[in-house]
Amino acid sequence: MQYLIQLLISGLAVGAIYGLIAMAFAVIYKSTGLVNFAQGEMTMIVAYVAWTISTTISGNVFVVAFGAIVAAVLLGLVIERVVMRPMLGEPVFSTVMVTIGLAVILRSSINFIWDAYPHALDLGVGRHVVRIGSIGVRTGQIAVITTLLLLIAGIWAFFRYSKFGIAMRAVAADDRTALLMGISAPRVHGFAWAASSAIAGIAGVFFAMSYDLSPAMFQLGLKAFPATILGGLDAVLGSGLGGLLIGVTENLAGGYVSSGMKEVAGFLMIIIVLMIRPFGIFGERDIERV
Amino acid sequence: MIKTCAAAMLLATAIHAGAIGTAAAEPGITETEILIGDIEPLTGPPALLGVAASIGHKVAIAEANAAGGISGRRIKYVLEDDGYVTARTIQGVRKLVDVDKVFALVGLSGSGQSIAAMPVLEKAGIPTVIDVAPVKPLWEPPRKNVFIVGQSYEEGIRHLVAFLADKNPGKKWGLITQDDDYGIAVHDGFDSMVEPKKLNVVFSGSYKKGQQDFSSEMLQLKEAGAEVFLAGGIIAENVAMMKELEKLNAKPVIGIFWPGRVEPVLKLMGPAGDGIYAVDYVEPFAGEAGKAFLEKAKPLLSEAEFKGINRYTMAGYAAAKVLIGAIARCGKDPSWACTIAELEKTSNVETGVMAPISFGAGVRFSNQKLKIMQADFSSLSFKPAY
Repeated sequence: MQYLIQLLISGLAVGAIYGLIAMAFAVIYKSTGLVNFAQGEMTMIVAYVAWTISTTISGNVFVVAFGAIVAAVLLGLVIERVVMRPMLGEPVFSTVMVTIGLAVILRSSINFIWDAYPHALDLGVGRHVVRIGSIGVRTGQIAVITTLLLLIAGIWAFFRYSKFGIAMRAVAADDRTALLMGISAPRVHGFAWAASSAIAGIAGVFFAMSYDLSPAMFQLGLKAFPATILGGLDAVLGSGLGGLLIGVTENLAGGYVSSGMKEVAGFLMIIIVLMIRPFGIFGERDIERV
Repeated sequence: MIKTCAAAMLLATAIHAGAIGTAAAEPGITETEILIGDIEPLTGPPALLGVAASIGHKVAIAEANAAGGISGRRIKYVLEDDGYVTARTIQGVRKLVDVDKVFALVGLSGSGQSIAAMPVLEKAGIPTVIDVAPVKPLWEPPRKNVFIVGQSYEEGIRHLVAFLADKNPGKKWGLITQDDDYGIAVHDGFDSMVEPKKLNVVFSGSYKKGQQDFSSEMLQLKEAGAEVFLAGGIIAENVAMMKELEKLNAKPVIGIFWPGRVEPVLKLMGPAGDGIYAVDYVEPFAGEAGKAFLEKAKPLLSEAEFKGINRYTMAGYAAAKVLIGAIARCGKDPSWACTIAELEKTSNVETGVMAPISFGAGVRFSNQKLKIMQADFSSLSFKPAY
């Protein structure tokens, strides 16, 4: 039983990181109809910025968290304004290719700006192991699961009750009609990119705190993408829950079948789910895939 | 008179042509320069080894240039980035040979990349010394112009397993390896020791390259009761494994392999990395030889380059030193044939960073002596274990 509980806890912790990044994918898709293939790289860049703040300005967790979120928002806004906005109205395929190009540039920038060495994001918190009987869990893992659940609740409330959230849903549903209603689509897009970058950045910081910081971190995007598909590419909250499902499934498969199955299990689940619900578990409408 | 002038002119032309002919007989050599080419992963995660190896080559070249170069010729280093992509390695080797026209090659990226580049190297016939990723297909069968400095992964793992088995008789063993050529080599080396050392293997797993979460694997290892664990990851993987074991309160005796034996890893592992064993053929920086190398390298490198030093720097330094020595022994007019012949004659060459290097007739692999080291978290270094 302890074995199962330990697998579930570890699965939820890593799944929460996937979930956050999956939500970041979904925020952009929901608002712009675009799959951002640079999501993993944006996650990595924000984590590196957080590490730079911690080693050069202050190691205080609040200073680092504030600085990382500001940096993430700026990164999202800059990408939207400089790279994505000129692509408005262009074919989806071209826009997706731009995000792939952006991913390669951001990935390479790590070596140019920082280095190839792995680094520890040591903020003095998150690494302590809490033991309940023989089950061990790091405080950082508890924090990331809590953060995901809080964000899911917060984003649900934002889309349900806030004026801007409703405007975002309107743009996602029909941007031309939304424009006629006086909603600025570029503003909504800018906000979506900033929010997405911040959510992904939070995931990156948590990951770096629990594991380490390395130029391979962009691969988190590849791991999180299936969670978005599973939850529903247009379902922000569903993507978050999809991450938890993928994390737990991977860990159970790795723990009870073989470590080789760990990589396959999540994708197997996606194939089965998509065969039954082609738009994901929580997706609300048919999705045009590219 | 006209005949005399014509004869003199012909003679002068012939002498001039001869002089040029000598200098241009081999590519990459002028009266003042010798070009040595290299291709490494300078971007992406494997840059950790590629950049470090290139720094080692730079140290050896700077050292030789400071001592007057090779027969008065300054050595120029031409470095290409392959991003650890095999197609780019082959393309880069072709560029170095056909466009840059380098005289010799050193380094040459990862194992898969150098294996893939082998037909191009063989066809070109250019003297090459490989140091980053020594794997058997590079020296079996031996190629006339390709020499490898290092030790095989299989032999390395056998040495480590033998040491750990003798130190921990009758214990239960666990092993995890990467699902690529590196992991296969580690697994093969381990398997060859199971019978001779009568190992009781209770856990054996493999992980996908790039995997970052090892919670289920380490939980399985703990449940299986493994007391000696061979962590077959490289950098981030081993760090993640150690942290998981710490979280699970599992404390097996741990062995790691040289690709992950870089000092920053100890900082990342934290106290969980204290006492882990590692096998390597280059000297630890905490030893006398390591300290002497750092002293030598410091004035020859920029501050950023000096920070990028790790074990691959020593491996790169040794290989470049052997190559430079062979070219130098060819005297004023080095040729490919002479350099290859001199590389073959390399015998007990001291580099100060590993055991003396030797090749021989038909022997293209230096087969370096191995050492066991142990991590010391308090000083963030590896120290000789015996």
